[in-house]
Amino acid sequence: MIKITELQKFYRTEEVETVALNNLSIEVEKGEFVAVMGPSGCGKSTLLNIIGLLDDLDEGSYKFNDIEVAHFNERKRSDLRKHNIGFVFQSFNLIDELTVFENVELPLIYTKVPAAERKKRVEEVLEKVQIMHRRNHFPQQLSGGQQQRVAVARAVVNNPKLILADEPTGNLDSNNGNEVMQLLTELNEQGTTIVMVTHSEHDARYSDRIIRMLDGQVVMSTVGS
Amino acid sequence: MLKNYFKSAFRSLVKSKLYTALNVVGLSISLTAATFLLLWVWDELSFDQMHSKKDRIYYVAAAIGKSKDQLWGTTSAPLAVFGKNEVPAIENACRISSFHDNQLWLYKDKKFNDAPIYVDNSFFQLFDFKLIEGDKKQPFPDNRSIIISESTAKKYFGHENPIGKVLQVKDGNPYKVTGIMADMPANSSLQYQMLLPFDILAENRESNPLNTDWGNFNYQTYFLLKAGSDPISVGKQLADIHRKNQQSDFWKDLNYLLQPLSKYHLYASDGSEQGMKQVKIFTFVAFIILVIACINYVNLVTARSSRRSKEVSVRKVVGANKKHLFSQFITESFLVFLFAVVLSIGLSFLLMPLYNSISGKEMLFSLLNHRVWTIFGTTLFVILVLAGVYPALMLSSFNPALALKGILPRFGKNSTFRQVLVVIQFTCSVVLIIATLIISRQLQYIRKMDLGYTRENVFTFNTFNFKKNYDAIRQQLEGEPGILGVTTSTQSILNLFSSTGDLEWEGKPANMSSFIINQLSVDQNFTKVMNLQFTSGEGFTGTPADSAHYILNELAVKQMKLTDPIGKSITFHDKPGTIVGILKDFHFKDMKTAIEPCILFIDPNWGWNTMYIKTTGKDASKALASVKTLWKEYNADYDFNYQFMDESFDNIYKSDMRAGRLFNLFAGIAILLSCLGLFGLVTYTAETKVKEIGIRKTLGASVNHIILLISKDFMKLVAISFILSFPIAWWLMNKWLDNYVYRTDVRVWVFLVAGSIAFLIAGLTICGQALKAAKNNPIKAIRTE
Repeated sequence: MIKITELQKFYRTEEVETVALNNLSIEVEKGEFVAVMGPSGCGKSTLLNIIGLLDDLDEGSYKFNDIEVAHFNERKRSDLRKHNIGFVFQSFNLIDELTVFENVELPLIYTKVPAAERKKRVEEVLEKVQIMHRRNHFPQQLSGGQQQRVAVARAVVNNPKLILADEPTGNLDSNNGNEVMQLLTELNEQGTTIVMVTHSEHDARYSDRIIRMLDGQVVMSTVGS
Repeated sequence: MLKNYFKSAFRSLVKSKLYTALNVVGLSISLTAATFLLLWVWDELSFDQMHSKKDRIYYVAAAIGKSKDQLWGTTSAPLAVFGKNEVPAIENACRISSFHDNQLWLYKDKKFNDAPIYVDNSFFQLFDFKLIEGDKKQPFPDNRSIIISESTAKKYFGHENPIGKVLQVKDGNPYKVTGIMADMPANSSLQYQMLLPFDILAENRESNPLNTDWGNFNYQTYFLLKAGSDPISVGKQLADIHRKNQQSDFWKDLNYLLQPLSKYHLYASDGSEQGMKQVKIFTFVAFIILVIACINYVNLVTARSSRRSKEVSVRKVVGANKKHLFSQFITESFLVFLFAVVLSIGLSFLLMPLYNSISGKEMLFSLLNHRVWTIFGTTLFVILVLAGVYPALMLSSFNPALALKGILPRFGKNSTFRQVLVVIQFTCSVVLIIATLIISRQLQYIRKMDLGYTRENVFTFNTFNFKKNYDAIRQQLEGEPGILGVTTSTQSILNLFSSTGDLEWEGKPANMSSFIINQLSVDQNFTKVMNLQFTSGEGFTGTPADSAHYILNELAVKQMKLTDPIGKSITFHDKPGTIVGILKDFHFKDMKTAIEPCILFIDPNWGWNTMYIKTTGKDASKALASVKTLWKEYNADYDFNYQFMDESFDNIYKSDMRAGRLFNLFAGIAILLSCLGLFGLVTYTAETKVKEIGIRKTLGASVNHIILLISKDFMKLVAISFILSFPIAWWLMNKWLDNYVYRTDVRVWVFLVAGSIAFLIAGLTICGQALKAAKNNPIKAIRTE
């Protein structure tokens, strides 16, 4: 599903140029659950952003479902993103002004799903993450675990083929963390490809494969538990 | 989708209450101010536009010579008749004679003082004033017909049908009402109540028929030209006709200037701008006020962008594209503007009466008024484009990956763009403050100027029957307590508008054949009572010989190139006489006009219509009482309307002073708006620096340090604005002052005062907010991060 070869990514400021990703190549098969690990600043999140088409790459090739997407423009990226990719972040990134229901509904609005259909699908997915009873609450009224479940619901409501999770349990206690990991595992079992950045060996164990990174390069790829 | 935009926008606005309030209040104040200004402008521009033939109707002015003071707004009576007959381009003509005194009109037991005007039969064919009853083509069946306005009809006849009723002029003719016209609209330059046929003026003039009297410039002439004709060439043809019929060297440079009726109100006869200047200034001020409000909006939105970046990014991540986000932010702007419009409508309703009383107009603020909506619509559109699009574009173009990390490469931190806007805004404000100061200084200067005669404690009134027994009345009044002097003249010395070329003297150069001099017939006490100063000669003697005595002003002597003028003979209106006095130049027209040559002479036959009574501040009521006693005896039929000369003088500048007051008001609003914007910006700057402030405070920074930290950048901007605004204001105000012949100078201290005022206001705004930020508990600040 994802084939990245010889990827280079630099961050430039006026004085220094930092290499974020250096000649990196990875592949992720359809249906895989891959964990990306490594110390802070090794380029995990940058890689995830590039996979999610939130960030550009400077050199190299990125094929998504065998299509070269490295040089897609903003409109094409956003198109591809909204139909294929869901995101889950460490800090949940829910919109404070919208209710639980509305947050989850948002991706469907942008893909122009009719209102009745939206309602059905949002309710389905809220049931699935067991947050239906708080559908009319605002994010600040929820616990961290609940917020992350909403975020997961929002990531999957459009039935994406790929979910990108950036330390999804980083802000959660272990109980809530486990619940979220359980949720991701279920999604994976139903066929969704998942790439997850994590610091936690415990979480990594839920994956099929662990990619370890250091200084912008892949140093090891091991099959998980 | 749209519903979602509105929902998000509404919630986001409710959440940031201060921000929303600043924006809504600022925008609604500016919208109200701009609406008021533009209503005023619109009203001015709408003058005389109600006539369907307005672009073909021309008003005729006579240019006797080439200079501006030789331009007369009147013509002789035959011009219209000959013009219509001999110039092919002229389709129709109408004369108006409006310089007439009040007459006493009687109907049954009712009496009123009213001044009629005389118009040609073509009046209602040229002008689209509505004739409710009567015949447009033949409004006056005979010379004893009268047409009156609706309100006049009501005044005289109440609910009776006025048609066919007869109005009697005391000691004059009876007139039968043959038509009722609707009251002339307030935005018409022509404002008349009673119309009589022009032909009446031709009665009893066998020796000098009206329609061949080319020298008497007492009438306004309007021509209706055929479509496509050239008014300049028509003017030349008219001048040729005049010269053909009245051969005199005086007319050799004569030209007639035709000014379209549609431009009558705002332009002078020679096409130069008059009221149009004010219209332009006010339009400009309205624009500035809107720009300042737009800048406030853009600044506040962009300053707040760092707070919105997370939301924008999240929306992008879940699939929003630029178009979605753009629509969302435009919706938010639209909502803010909508609130502002609603508030502005409320404010306008509330303030309109006040505004009308300041502006002296009767403008209507009604939601049924299409003008109101046109103005709201256009300003809203302009604001949306100026202030809505940029922030929307900016906010929708964040790179989500970076923005989620809090990195806003161009807009959030680097605020050059905002700084430029603040500088523009404050430059405008300071220019306006300077303009305000200079305008009021100029108005003050004019009012305090020495006119060359005394206007304090002198009251004037129209003489009516007093003039028939002038000498007896003068003597009687001079003996009354509280009266220091009594005198009379044909017109008020404050605004003399009678001039002539009929002056000959020995050695008059050929190139001065069209020399024009202002003329005023006075009694022998005039110079003494008015305190006019002689530079040489004694003036009138009080003997019958005075009828052949003339007094000139210095400028007349200079222009006539007379040396040793006292005792020289001159011939004035074919009457030879001698010069007995030279007066120091004095002002007999408004201060926008330079002093012109002037001659004083004694001839009661000219009609001594204005009487002057000099009194003292303390005894004014006694003096008035004495005049009133006599008034009852001689003028019982007329109202006694007196006016102190100071007041009359101020009245000449009433519109200038009104404009000045309006300008002050709107300049104040502009400054207020700028400060509102600054307040918002400082608030957000302080907010973004909460962490920095906290850290500095834990390291020992004092409150003063923190205030300096926050305010120094803003104060720098305000200072830059001064440097920019001074030359702009200097240039603009000198241009404005050029309107005045007598003008105050632009002093440095005005700039310093304006600068200090702006600096003080800005400083208070900034430091107040900075102080609040600096006083916060540092621990709290750090913890929130």
